[in-house]
Amino acid sequence: MRYAGHAVLAAVVLFLIGPFLVIAAAGLSAGDTLTFPPQGLSLKWITAVFGMENFRQSFVLSLWLAVGSTALALLFGVPAAYGLARYPVPGRDFMRSIVFTPVIVPGIIAGLALLRHAVIPLGLPVTTALILAHTVLVVPYAVRVVTASLEHLRTDVEEAAVILGATRTGTFFRVVLPNIRNGILAAFILGFVTSFNQVPVSLFLTGPGITTLPIDMLASMEFVYDPSIAALSALLALMSMAIVMIAEKMLGLSRYV
Amino acid sequence: MSDRNFLTIEKLTLAYGGTVAVKDLDLTIAEGELVALLGPSGCGKTTTMRAIAGLIQPRQGRIVLAGRDITHVRANKREVGLVFQSYALFPHLSVFENVAFGLRLRSVARDELEQRANEAIGLVGLKGFERRLPRELSGGQQQRVALARSVVVRPRLLLLDEPLSNLDARLRLEMRSELQRLQRDLGVTMIYVTHDQSEALALADRVIVMRDGRIAQQGTPADIYERPSSVFVAQFVGFENIFKAGQWPLPDERDIAALAWRPQAVVLGQGPHQGRVLGASYLGDAVEYLIETPGGLVKAQTPASARRFALDETVSLDLPLASAARLAGQ
Amino acid sequence: MFEDRRIGIALAAPAVLFVMLAFLLPVGILLSGSVTTPGGWGISRFTTFFAEPLYQEVVWRTLRLGALVTLASAAIGYAAALAIVDTSPATKGRLVGLFILPLMISPVARTYAWIVILGRTGLVNQVVTGLGLSDEPLRLLFTETAVFIGLVQLFLPLMVLSLVSALENLPADVVPAARVLGANWIAVFFRVILPLTREGLVIGGTLVFTGAVTAYITPAVLGGSKVLMLETLLYQRVSVANDYVSASVIAVILIAMSVAANALLKRAAAARKR
Ligand SMILES: Nc1ncnc2c1ncn2[C@@H]1O[C@H](COP(=O)(O)OP(=O)(O)O)[C@@H](O)[C@H]1O
Ligand SMILES: [Mg+2]
Repeated sequence: MRYAGHAVLAAVVLFLIGPFLVIAAAGLSAGDTLTFPPQGLSLKWITAVFGMENFRQSFVLSLWLAVGSTALALLFGVPAAYGLARYPVPGRDFMRSIVFTPVIVPGIIAGLALLRHAVIPLGLPVTTALILAHTVLVVPYAVRVVTASLEHLRTDVEEAAVILGATRTGTFFRVVLPNIRNGILAAFILGFVTSFNQVPVSLFLTGPGITTLPIDMLASMEFVYDPSIAALSALLALMSMAIVMIAEKMLGLSRYV
Repeated sequence: MSDRNFLTIEKLTLAYGGTVAVKDLDLTIAEGELVALLGPSGCGKTTTMRAIAGLIQPRQGRIVLAGRDITHVRANKREVGLVFQSYALFPHLSVFENVAFGLRLRSVARDELEQRANEAIGLVGLKGFERRLPRELSGGQQQRVALARSVVVRPRLLLLDEPLSNLDARLRLEMRSELQRLQRDLGVTMIYVTHDQSEALALADRVIVMRDGRIAQQGTPADIYERPSSVFVAQFVGFENIFKAGQWPLPDERDIAALAWRPQAVVLGQGPHQGRVLGASYLGDAVEYLIETPGGLVKAQTPASARRFALDETVSLDLPLASAARLAGQ
Repeated sequence: MFEDRRIGIALAAPAVLFVMLAFLLPVGILLSGSVTTPGGWGISRFTTFFAEPLYQEVVWRTLRLGALVTLASAAIGYAAALAIVDTSPATKGRLVGLFILPLMISPVARTYAWIVILGRTGLVNQVVTGLGLSDEPLRLLFTETAVFIGLVQLFLPLMVLSLVSALENLPADVVPAARVLGANWIAVFFRVILPLTREGLVIGGTLVFTGAVTAYITPAVLGGSKVLMLETLLYQRVSVANDYVSASVIAVILIAMSVAANALLKRAAAARKR
């Protein structure tokens, strides 16, 4: 029974992780077409990806978008999480559910709605629209993770600070923030990954010239048959792995997922 | 020299939403006094402390500290210290930084800050623990840090909310005498909240007994222990035999609703009343009897060396008026 | 100190207003398009939409794939989760990490791997033709099976993680106790483990189901225009035909599925609190 269980587990892990090995191998191919097993091994396509202007541009945009929208989302989300966790706000549950709606509404609808009823009528630039959409998407993660770490901080610790002479703001920065730092870092990482990998929300908001990396990859799949996308996919997987490992070492990210 | 009305509380009413926790509380405390606020759980002790510290706003009433009306002064400007029942240490700061927290906010110069923080740490006997984090300390040590953190900023008034209730019995006794020493050395005015009558009686210059958000009685420990004024206070300080008019012959004095005796005050083996022994428990240095009398059940305690009575034995007993507490009301 | 509700409102307001203005308002306008007809309010947009055989088929396929992916994930998930909680704590931690990792990796990259595996010159076809099982390469891409496989791989970790946490909270001795009482493994699973981990199953199932029915990348890459699901249909209607009416109807259907699944999740969570 036990051996059967372990055999199933091994098969499941292979099913989950195997494709990454396949794509890494395909990306390391020395040949010019996407095949498996690869026709010889080389770093040719890995280096080639770094030289491709379109991917470089969309990578940079995705990076800034992920950093910027996550930072913005934390700017909105941290005070909201704090206010809703500590103060007797009337309609608190209602406000919370409003902040969480972006999780329930599929991203493609958010993107389309923003395009049709905000970007076009207001004439917003594409990058602004992307920032708005990604920030909305990350706000719920910021609120949820920060709320969870606030629950671990007793309120009387803040009261003690005030009695010792701190202002409310001073208390927040001197006592609350240092104690929820790990939560904020975890929220930042989750937000970053969510935004960086995001496709449906961005689908309608990107266009030729200004596009995010995952959208760019999707579009390229239609006409690119060489191993460059495989190489890029392998690199992205590697990047995520590094982020997860660092985060797990630093803060035990798995507690927040 | 010392101010008789150092802290004056007038008609203080405190509420959470619709529920009133403290009602029309009047209280005066002299400078340098150590007052114990005694009462069962839920009677409003913490609520009162939080109002004095400025953590909750009163519905009604006034709080005057050293001649200054602080009713609407913010908590961070009150110069009132509060030691929390849970200690509430800053989890991310070392012992030294916890103690120095208030000094840093007051922009105390570095040399003075180090000197004062170290002095406070020494005062509570934590030298050598400066770099530890709160989670690396025992409950008693955390308690000391909380104390040092509060006194180092020299508050005009120090409030302690059941500071010893999370410690084990032995540590409690030890900390109790340290607190007394600390108060004597610093001369700080102190309100000490507790639900433990022996703690209140042992520590305080004056005891204030609270019940349901009001003051039931106040006086010296001896006043409270020997002359409770109501059934409630009498029960709280260990009177077991409480008899109302009609149940027991009461003297014809004004304002007496009941009489109360401690078990030790009951005389067995002689006296005008008769009773039957229902139970006897050996307590080591004493024996406690439960006796059925026409007026009701009586609990009596005699020294272990005194004559013993058997179960079902009929004994004569006396409840001397001289050792009775005269209770005016419930 | 935390009495003043105005401070709380002031702290929460920016986030709430931001989500309302930048998200709920435009989404609300978009959705209202589904009930606005030339003659006023009505559901005629829906009846027209559902009268179209292609759209009917897409709705059915989306629901069918959602259900199948959820079922498959539950079956595989229980087998994997039971094996995971059976290992030592250190191994368990590492295995859980192994299941969290894929969730952090770009789903585009994850899905693209299946092109390498299932494509005309991919791994499977190399094996099949190499062994002489078929002369022609098999058409594996752009089939419902490919989409199904891709979706299972994408969302299985969510199910496994929910089930692992449910199994960890199982009272310690129930399984040995049931075994001692003579139950065989099948009976133990259906009478003891399944009822006691129902919430974990519901939570995982909801996550997998909503993920699958609202997926875009997998059907777009592995299904193409032959195997449309609701999101790819929505994208196609808008980008090919500027058909915002159908888009708003699809949006309502998608949100309805998502809200229904989340309501179920809430009820399961509430049941746990009790
Ligand atoms: N945050 C609160 N919200 C509502 N009621 C409270 C709150 N804190 C205390 N109370 C109520 O106020 C009364 C007094 O409580 P408290 O001052 O904590 O009593 P004590 O410290 O004497 O045990 C109790 O009835 C308690 O239930
Ligand atoms: Mg209390």
